[in-house]
Amino acid sequence: MSVPLRRLRETPRHLLVCEKSHMRHERSRHAAHVRSHAYNCRVSFLIPECGILPEALKSVITDIGEYYLVKNLSLHELVTHEFINTFVKKGKLIISVDKDTYEELGLQGRPSQYSGKKVMRYIVTIDLTDSAFDPDSKKHKRVLWALKEKKPLEFDFLLSWHNKGAEGSTLMSYFSKNQIQAHQPKATFSTLRNLQCPVLHSNELHGKLEESCSAQELFEWLGAVCNKVGLDNKSFSFLSTCCCPQPSTVVEQAYLCTITGFILPEKIIQLLEQLCCYFDEPKLAQWVTLTVHGFADSPVSWRESEHGFQKGGENLYNFVVFRNLDYWLQMAVGANDDCPP
Amino acid sequence: MRCWLAGRGRGSGCTATAAQRRRRLAGCRHQTTTPSMPWAEPGLRRKRSAAAPRRLVPRGFSMAAVFADLNVPGAPERKSLQSLLEAAAHLGYSTVAINHVIDFKEKKQEIVKPISPSELFPSLPIVQGKSKPIKIVTRLTLVVSDPSHCNVLRSTSTNIRLYDIIAVFPETEKLFHVACTNLDVDLICVNVTEKLPFYFRRSSVNMNNFSTCHLYLSTVVMGARENPQLRKAIDRGVYFELLYTPAIKDSTMRRYTISNALSLMQICKRKNIIISSAAERPLELRGPYDVANLGLLFGLSESDAKAAISTNCRAVLLHGETRKTAFGVVYTKKTHRASEEEGVLPVRKKAKTEV
Repeated sequence: MSVPLRRLRETPRHLLVCEKSHMRHERSRHAAHVRSHAYNCRVSFLIPECGILPEALKSVITDIGEYYLVKNLSLHELVTHEFINTFVKKGKLIISVDKDTYEELGLQGRPSQYSGKKVMRYIVTIDLTDSAFDPDSKKHKRVLWALKEKKPLEFDFLLSWHNKGAEGSTLMSYFSKNQIQAHQPKATFSTLRNLQCPVLHSNELHGKLEESCSAQELFEWLGAVCNKVGLDNKSFSFLSTCCCPQPSTVVEQAYLCTITGFILPEKIIQLLEQLCCYFDEPKLAQWVTLTVHGFADSPVSWRESEHGFQKGGENLYNFVVFRNLDYWLQMAVGANDDCPP
Repeated sequence: MRCWLAGRGRGSGCTATAAQRRRRLAGCRHQTTTPSMPWAEPGLRRKRSAAAPRRLVPRGFSMAAVFADLNVPGAPERKSLQSLLEAAAHLGYSTVAINHVIDFKEKKQEIVKPISPSELFPSLPIVQGKSKPIKIVTRLTLVVSDPSHCNVLRSTSTNIRLYDIIAVFPETEKLFHVACTNLDVDLICVNVTEKLPFYFRRSSVNMNNFSTCHLYLSTVVMGARENPQLRKAIDRGVYFELLYTPAIKDSTMRRYTISNALSLMQICKRKNIIISSAAERPLELRGPYDVANLGLLFGLSESDAKAAISTNCRAVLLHGETRKTAFGVVYTKKTHRASEEEGVLPVRKKAKTEV
């Protein structure tokens, strides 16, 4: 009887990795971390003591680039060499399938790491730029046969391409017969009034009693603010007992911006740079935060680490950039996930 | 009956018998085909004993479903059933089993042919989050209180074979034991909401050789020692089902449900559990993740609770499918031949063709 009660007290498995460094340090890995998290669906940043968005940030947001939606695209079109040579310089195709599809597909894969005794999920990885994947090789023929004839898989795809100015066809022209639609990421802006913000010291990641809050407390508070959870902790409210971690200050206004869409890591790096440049002029704010969420049902999280969906597929990271360009990086994953790098 | 056996380098054709030739002339031919599956082990093909340990998926059985609710009582009015199905599809259930209960205590109970879902509902609601419509399977529950009631399962009545899942609800301990050991059913139902006059022993759980076993009991005798037979039963694929709707409706039933579920977990070690509703109204249905969280209250772990409404339900449906096949390897499909062909061609052996 005690075992289920004990289990009820535990929270679902989750991991939070906190890192501290300086933006201009030569060995800072902030850009590498951002680049390795490829599939981002939401970016939001919070600037305390700010009422109007600076022009530089506004231009980065408008320039964030568009993404494309293609419906009912057969998977075999993505393994044709025409597509690979035009758009994919180096890459792998990773398919996460359930047991029945895997057995019908006939391609070699490995069982998911989070399957338990009965394997219900398999991961198939095809290296598209491998030398063994030449147009006439057996491997290529087998993959094409499996995806075209054995088990034709069709999906709706979100596509985004970091075009470094290369000439040639674009995504729109390549998939013109599949009714490709271009979408702009949606941006929402809001100004929060009289917000209680925690006090942070950049070199105290774990917080100090009565002086600053820890990274974990900040993470929880930031989640509450972005989701518009009431932090008053009033006695008559049964919805939430969350409150701002102490010590805290009250800021008159804070600017919160959320961008939703399929956003490339390069754009996020530009946004991060602009947030660093925000501190070039003296500002009241002590720190700014940038949060990036990955897709809940993406098969990979960072690089090629497997990402599973048990009850929530969270994989996100959060930068806290201080006035002196020190930063905290927090990476969080959910239940069926590898540890972030 | 023509038959082809799947296998590496193996194939055999048989001649048609006289009865089959007659049926062919009548315009309809039963053609046996083997589904395209991975190579079946020789052990599976030759075994004549009870359930083969592993059942392979017949062709055409696509488990697109992720979450399933295997107990939705079939209401007499179409409208209420339609609203139930719409609620289930909106909540995210990909498969729903409409339950038809036959109580042998009442007089003149006949097992009617199950109404095909496509006739009942011309357009099925689309499951939220997927682009496919909800899949409906039929289920028959037999409430038995006498050993003679079980004879209907042995009879070759075609109506029973038309149901996808067959469940039995034994009311005495002896019948429970019989159901566990002998009866060819997919599910065994037990009520968790009432005090039953019998106890549940580990040994009968051990002898359970069916895919799914619903367990309702108010008191359970727990043995202190590990019982190897129990492990064997679970290895063969015994599942235990819990209903959650009684827990929603009444607080006393909630207490019984939770206490019985907890004792059940201790006996079967959280394996092979299914949670389903017996919702009569759309308001009594709960979403799949909510049901999985309820499973935590019943003593399951996070992954077991999620499996209880997804993977384990899939296993039950597979078990029901393979009941219509021969050891899960060979199944029959009705094909119709145009009547003009008859009388033109003489009956002759056809050459072996690839499946």
